[in-house]
Amino acid sequence: MRTLAAVIVLILAGLLHITSLGKASDSYKMLPQDTDQSFVLPSALIKIVALEFRGLASDVYFLNSMVFIGATQQRKETPRVKEWEWRWFLKVLDTATDLDPYFFDPYYYANAFLPWDAGMVKETNLLLAKGSRYRDWDWMLPFFIGFNNFYFLKNDSESAEFLMEASRRPGGDPMLASIAARLAFKENRTETAIYFLEQTSKNTEDRNIKERFETRIGALRSILFLENAIAGFKKKYGKIPTSIEALVNKNIISQLPRDPYGGTYYLAEGGKVRSTASSELEPYLSPLQKKIRK
Amino acid sequence: MITIQGISKEFKEGIAGKRVMALEGLNLEIKRGEVFGFLGPNGAGKSTTIKILMNLIYSDTGKAEIGGKDVRNPESRKIVGYLPENPYFYDYLTADELLWFGGKTAGMVSKTIRTRSDFLINKVDLQNARKRPLRTYSKGMFQRAGLALALIHDPDVVILDEPMSGLDPIGRKMVGDLLIELKGEGKTIFFSSHILNDIERFSDRAGIIIGGKLRLVDTLSNLLSDGKNLEEVFMREVAISEKGTSL
Amino acid sequence: MTLWPVALITFKEGIRNKALYGITLIALMLFGATALIATMIPREVGKVSIDMALSTISFTGLLLVFFVGINLIAKDLDKRTIYTVLSRPISRSQYIFGKFLGMSLLIIVTMSALSVMAMSAIVLLKATHAEYFGRFSWSLITLAILFNMLMLILLSAISFFFASFTTSSFITLVLTIITYIIGHSISGVKALVESSPQEIGITVSPVTLKMVKAAYYLFPNLSLFDIKLQAAHALTVTSSFVMWTVVYGLVYIALAITLAALIFRKKEFP
Repeated sequence: MRTLAAVIVLILAGLLHITSLGKASDSYKMLPQDTDQSFVLPSALIKIVALEFRGLASDVYFLNSMVFIGATQQRKETPRVKEWEWRWFLKVLDTATDLDPYFFDPYYYANAFLPWDAGMVKETNLLLAKGSRYRDWDWMLPFFIGFNNFYFLKNDSESAEFLMEASRRPGGDPMLASIAARLAFKENRTETAIYFLEQTSKNTEDRNIKERFETRIGALRSILFLENAIAGFKKKYGKIPTSIEALVNKNIISQLPRDPYGGTYYLAEGGKVRSTASSELEPYLSPLQKKIRK
Repeated sequence: MITIQGISKEFKEGIAGKRVMALEGLNLEIKRGEVFGFLGPNGAGKSTTIKILMNLIYSDTGKAEIGGKDVRNPESRKIVGYLPENPYFYDYLTADELLWFGGKTAGMVSKTIRTRSDFLINKVDLQNARKRPLRTYSKGMFQRAGLALALIHDPDVVILDEPMSGLDPIGRKMVGDLLIELKGEGKTIFFSSHILNDIERFSDRAGIIIGGKLRLVDTLSNLLSDGKNLEEVFMREVAISEKGTSL
Repeated sequence: MTLWPVALITFKEGIRNKALYGITLIALMLFGATALIATMIPREVGKVSIDMALSTISFTGLLLVFFVGINLIAKDLDKRTIYTVLSRPISRSQYIFGKFLGMSLLIIVTMSALSVMAMSAIVLLKATHAEYFGRFSWSLITLAILFNMLMLILLSAISFFFASFTTSSFITLVLTIITYIIGHSISGVKALVESSPQEIGITVSPVTLKMVKAAYYLFPNLSLFDIKLQAAHALTVTSSFVMWTVVYGLVYIALAITLAALIFRKKEFP
């Protein structure tokens, strides 16, 4: 009789355990979240606290940043990621690289997201510069800095410098030196941009990131196509066309190329090709913003 | 064989605690080949004396020698076999390994150790347990293992601190028989006890120590002359000590 | 030489301690975790594998020293097994040195076994993810493990020093843990207060500066023995660094254990 009672009590307790755990964790998720959770312990402190496990700590920090990105991919709202969250993301990667400045992944990860999605180009470059200093056998980091300078900051001379550095490092494509030269002589920027993106995409393993690059490349190819057509028009008629449809009408091209971002192309001031759809090419297409968001 | 001259030892309880005179001006000489029984109530200083001989405690004054060597010299213990009051051994060693340790530290050769181990383990009846870890031993088995360890290097002097404490009758018989056997081999035996009967049965000479002071030393026959029994002699000394006189 | 019997029984007592099973189990679980987590890293699988494998070795080594090692010397003093040993014709110093030798042997043997497991994990990951093991050096990994062993031996020498004058094994444990923490952080703290305390928003008084400097020389600088970073990225380690660090380690060990022996001479066992 006693055993039976004990068994019944255990089963009931077990059910209660499962129910209460479910309810408790659900209501925990409902609790109001802090608006600014961007606090990360200063690296100088973590370095001391981590004792002999700094490398491990840097791995943990990086894994945290990966978990964060993974979580945001699921989100539906806009903006998908808030500004303070990107700040936190940068701090985490900065700390990871303070703990182990030779760790490649944080640099790569920062560069994959921050300039594109958060507009934090200068901050990314600072981080990459740290990495480039330590990983002096690595051509990719100066390459990334060069890319960012060209694509986002419109600073071609800085870009050229970093590309030269990249070409000097082991594994660095000698092509980089010739691209640096193109920049120095201000040759066609869109072609250079396509080249940059192709290089980066080639070295990307993450399928999601790679797809985004391929889309950007496709979009730029369309723009290049139109830019070449405009040059051809100018050659033929001595001036740039008044509208983009003129290119088709005057048989320079058979049809307007498709914008992978779903917009339609038009001719903006100064004969620049623009699309009605806002896209990831905004940072490239628009002139250098005076104020980069912090 | 064992000489103790002017040994005193004071203990302090705690940081600012009271001082206890554990031994005061002890003078004692144990002759070669004799069995000396050290009798006294608990806390009289028996254990302290023995530990000073084994250099586990340092005396404040005086000097002690075994076989002509100062007790502070480890060499003095080459000829000493010691059994502490409550022997305690490493949990995971076996009796065999314990004896190996004892033999090696006394400078024995492995072969000799093996022969003597076999002999002693049989003698103390631990054959079935010799390969088992010591933590599985009972109290009685500890005592027997301790005896084997004390005798592994065939010492000339055997010092035993309360050798019968906590033993069952079988154990007591074994220890008793062993004492007699050792005496027969000409060994010098110094043992402490608070059990009058044990002192009576085995000692050639006995010393009564009370409150850190040696009260009486004499041969058993003298102590028990004129039909006295040891208890009477002992209680008389206790009474005298409470009144404040000494040897 | 009378050191050997003491050393051998100390070693046997240690290696048969049941806690060793638990420690090995923990190590196995952590190596398993290494294999899982390292593969999640996009690129530097090699560096993360080495980080985790070496950290596991460090961590289990610490468990060994703190819980088995300290117990070996403390058990003697708490539980009166000391009578068994000191009543032999050996001196107090021989006892301490012999025990320390046994302890060191225990560390070397256990760590070697764990290293084999660690290296197996790394070999496995390297075989399946060869492209991601860019810069790699077995010799640096081995050196990192050897330095780790030296550090653990140094730590146990220090635990002997504490055990020689404290009365409880718990206090010895606490003091050794504190020394470990200070030993690994003092270098970083010294660098911080000397150059850039404002980085974390503190101002440093000259008194603090002096204290930190003193602590730096007094406490063992254990961070010197931590070359996990260099092993993870196959960075160069100069032979002069190796030599001087080993010398520093051996000197400190000699000092600690000699001091322990000297203090231990005064100890009595009533």
